[in-house]
Amino acid sequence: MNLISGIDITSSALNAQKTRLDIIAQNIANAQTTRTPAGGPYKRQLVSFETALLQQTGEGQPALRGVQISNVTTDPSTGERIYDPQHPDADSQGIVTMPNVNLAYEMVDLITATRAYEANLSVAKNGREMAERTLKIGQ
Amino acid sequence: MSPVSSISSPLASLYARVAGPGNTPPILPDSHKIGAPTATPAGEGFAKVFDQLVGTVDSKQAEANAVTRNVLVGGQGQLHQSVIAMQEASVAFSLMVQVRNKLVDSYQELMRMPV
Repeated sequence: MNLISGIDITSSALNAQKTRLDIIAQNIANAQTTRTPAGGPYKRQLVSFETALLQQTGEGQPALRGVQISNVTTDPSTGERIYDPQHPDADSQGIVTMPNVNLAYEMVDLITATRAYEANLSVAKNGREMAERTLKIGQ
Repeated sequence: MSPVSSISSPLASLYARVAGPGNTPPILPDSHKIGAPTATPAGEGFAKVFDQLVGTVDSKQAEANAVTRNVLVGGQGQLHQSVIAMQEASVAFSLMVQVRNKLVDSYQELMRMPV
């Protein structure tokens, strides 16, 4: 029973944007992390999306496609190198390699992801209101 | 199916749901039925559809409960999935109430019919 149109697709989009927000939170939280289990400073993570076939509505009708996280990649650029000989992670020349996280970029990504999440919430709300108004036909 | 039995059989299935299994609804003898009997046996047709609708609404509410509990105890569930499941359950319940209202309206309309 599909009462609210497109709610599955919106739900998948909300899931994807939530994961993106989580990754941005991780980037911001680790903006000064110079030590990771893999060695070296933290590397900025990037999220990319792909379409996911959610439901075939019927013969000859377009298939409804949701969205899912395709993969989380690592930004390969090198971070800022600062001179701080007292830092425990400084090399023999006293240079510390900081993470390649740029807070300005992350804030822009944060705003974009928040707005995308809000847009999908509006779709969900609109779908529910349409269903409720349809049910009021009989009243 | 006669007009009255088309209403009485869904109501009988509702009665069976409320009273629980084992309690059979009061069945009027055939002499009280209006119109010629048709091929649709009792408990099928619209009654069956309505019974399935009630079952679906119930399962949607159970699902919404499960997802919400999962979020609250810190499981894998996401907040938006919980809210969406609750909204779906709410809309399904409204639909069921609308169908019930129509059913009762048509029954009362028939009862007002001057004989």
